[in-house]
Amino acid sequence: MIDVQSIRDAARDLLTRGEVRAVIGYRRGSRGMLAEPVTITDPEQADELVWDATCFHNLALYLVEDRKALAHAQRTPTLPIAIIAKGCDARAIVVLMQEHYFKRDEVYIIGVSCEGGGVLVEYKLARLLNGAQALSAVFDGDELVVTTAAGEVRLPASEVMADRCLECREPFPKEHNVAFGEDKTGRQLAAPFTALGRFEALSAVDRWAFWRRQFERCIRCFACRSVCPMCYCDECVVDSITFPVAPDTTAEEKANRIRWIERSAVRSENITYHMTRAMHLAGRCIDCGECERVCPVNIPLRLLNNKMELEARERFGYEPGASIGGPSLVASFRDDDPGQFIR
Amino acid sequence: MEKILDKQRLDDWIAVLTDWDAFAPAVEDDVWAFRPVAGAVRLDHPNTKQPPKGFAFPQREVFFTFEQIKGEAPRLTQKLPQGKRRVAFGVRPCDGRGTVRMDRVFADHVDDPYYQTRRNNMAYVGLACNKPVSSNCFCLSVGGSPVGSDGLDVLMTDLGERYFVAAVTETGKALMTVAGDLLKKPEVADRQRLKDLHAEAVAQPQRAIHDADGAPAKLKASFKSPLWEELAQACIGCGICTFLCPTCHCFDINDEVTGAAPLKGSRVRTWDNCQFPDFTMHTSGHNPRPSVGARLRQRVCHKFQYFFENFGMHQCTGCGRCISDCPVGIDIVHVVNKVTEHAG
Repeated sequence: MIDVQSIRDAARDLLTRGEVRAVIGYRRGSRGMLAEPVTITDPEQADELVWDATCFHNLALYLVEDRKALAHAQRTPTLPIAIIAKGCDARAIVVLMQEHYFKRDEVYIIGVSCEGGGVLVEYKLARLLNGAQALSAVFDGDELVVTTAAGEVRLPASEVMADRCLECREPFPKEHNVAFGEDKTGRQLAAPFTALGRFEALSAVDRWAFWRRQFERCIRCFACRSVCPMCYCDECVVDSITFPVAPDTTAEEKANRIRWIERSAVRSENITYHMTRAMHLAGRCIDCGECERVCPVNIPLRLLNNKMELEARERFGYEPGASIGGPSLVASFRDDDPGQFIR
Repeated sequence: MEKILDKQRLDDWIAVLTDWDAFAPAVEDDVWAFRPVAGAVRLDHPNTKQPPKGFAFPQREVFFTFEQIKGEAPRLTQKLPQGKRRVAFGVRPCDGRGTVRMDRVFADHVDDPYYQTRRNNMAYVGLACNKPVSSNCFCLSVGGSPVGSDGLDVLMTDLGERYFVAAVTETGKALMTVAGDLLKKPEVADRQRLKDLHAEAVAQPQRAIHDADGAPAKLKASFKSPLWEELAQACIGCGICTFLCPTCHCFDINDEVTGAAPLKGSRVRTWDNCQFPDFTMHTSGHNPRPSVGARLRQRVCHKFQYFFENFGMHQCTGCGRCISDCPVGIDIVHVVNKVTEHAG
């Protein structure tokens, strides 16, 4: 079990010694027990940091936001920025560096192992608590320790964990400057691609029926895109601002701009949006599962990205987020590529 | 009109409403939503993920279709909503008040035939919240009540084995009249039980905005507060808070072209969202709300200042959806309290 004080001390020391300009981490929010992302710059704030089973967020997103803000302000910082990273978050940071979004020495990674746990799913926990309100939730080995008004409850971790965590093969952040917790790489709570496997067992007709229904339900809030650290494009195919406007652009040109995806949240447009996103994440998605977590209507978006991940793995032996200097899936070529089309 | 309905007879009441298409909360994919009634209705829902706002203000509304043969005048065909009257059961009081606010915008303030046609076709049968349905409920602190009937046509209260059914509007009376003998006369004990339950309901602890009355002036004085950026720091700019809100009503209008020769398509209104970074993007490339702080300020000030200035009421009804479903913990109760406290 990780002592949160060690994380706080590390953050405080980094800020006090002037080694980093900020620390991106988690703190207790104002809505019950849930953690929320925070960026601290004052060593005094280090005591606000928390580490528990509700640290859902992939904070690599805020490295991207930080980069965008710096570019906008045309500033080049002299100090790195520190970030608290789980195994999956660290893989996302690796992909961003692989894509030259920032350099290794511009980020200080405070790795935290998920050990035997990961993050919980609120509705799974609520079911097990039968209406009792959880006040805190921390993983301890294979158990989740939950406090409620009635006292402490210990639940099997696997019953409250997110699918992405159950299937996780790398709960330890391999890429780090400093790391806390035990390295349990290779732990197997559920086989990789279990959820995808269940889905792929269906017939093609049933799978299509499934997605038709799911894409009918999408409300296009774009939370899946907004929360994704890999969706960092300044211009996105679904936005209305992708059309470059110059002083001599006419009203007619503006009116007749190409819109790949209409704003109507109807099935055809929703499918185009989600398919585009899935393709753009192939070989990049590190399965943090944030898109699936944040979806307000519970569309199982991980299935799409897992499918692309599985294809890349089976066909090219490719693991996204494995190494900073390694080749990227879509921008590399191997002589021993099994595909005939390449020759 | 006040009546008693045995819980087992709720389905019978819905069945006799043959002039109406009935909707009620149902759970699908672990999400509560208003669905067309098919089978038994059990009003044991927390609150629906999306409010009933979409009945009168759907996410997509086709205004008219157009067709133009080159050299000729364009032909427009208006598409006013049509269909049977609709009734939604199990509407929570916060969402009833949401409807009152939507009416201010689309019925009282301007003449919107699309909204009005749908709205006039719609009845809301409410269900009082004997207990808060979410840990983020705060209706009491924004002038609402867990047993309030604003914006509803009927208010039902769960007495245990039976519902106390009270008409609020003429439409509500009509719905109850159709029920005939299914609805019984309440006994004195029923009325007492109702009174007790309502008193208990308003005494239940909720979250609270501490100074909603002072908010319009205090927010106005805090326009340039650095708190906005601080409080919005984690915002990812998605549309959950506004798309799930019972009163957010911003929209966009686009022509969706489906053919080039002849040119044809539809003019469509879709929900829009002030938290999207491109919401206020000008064609010049200038964005007057360039940061998450500016966008959070807009959402909060619209609810607690601008709407109040325009209509004399807060736009927020305290349902708590934007809090519960925010992926990163942005909490409107916390934001309003923090900014108003700071304003003194």
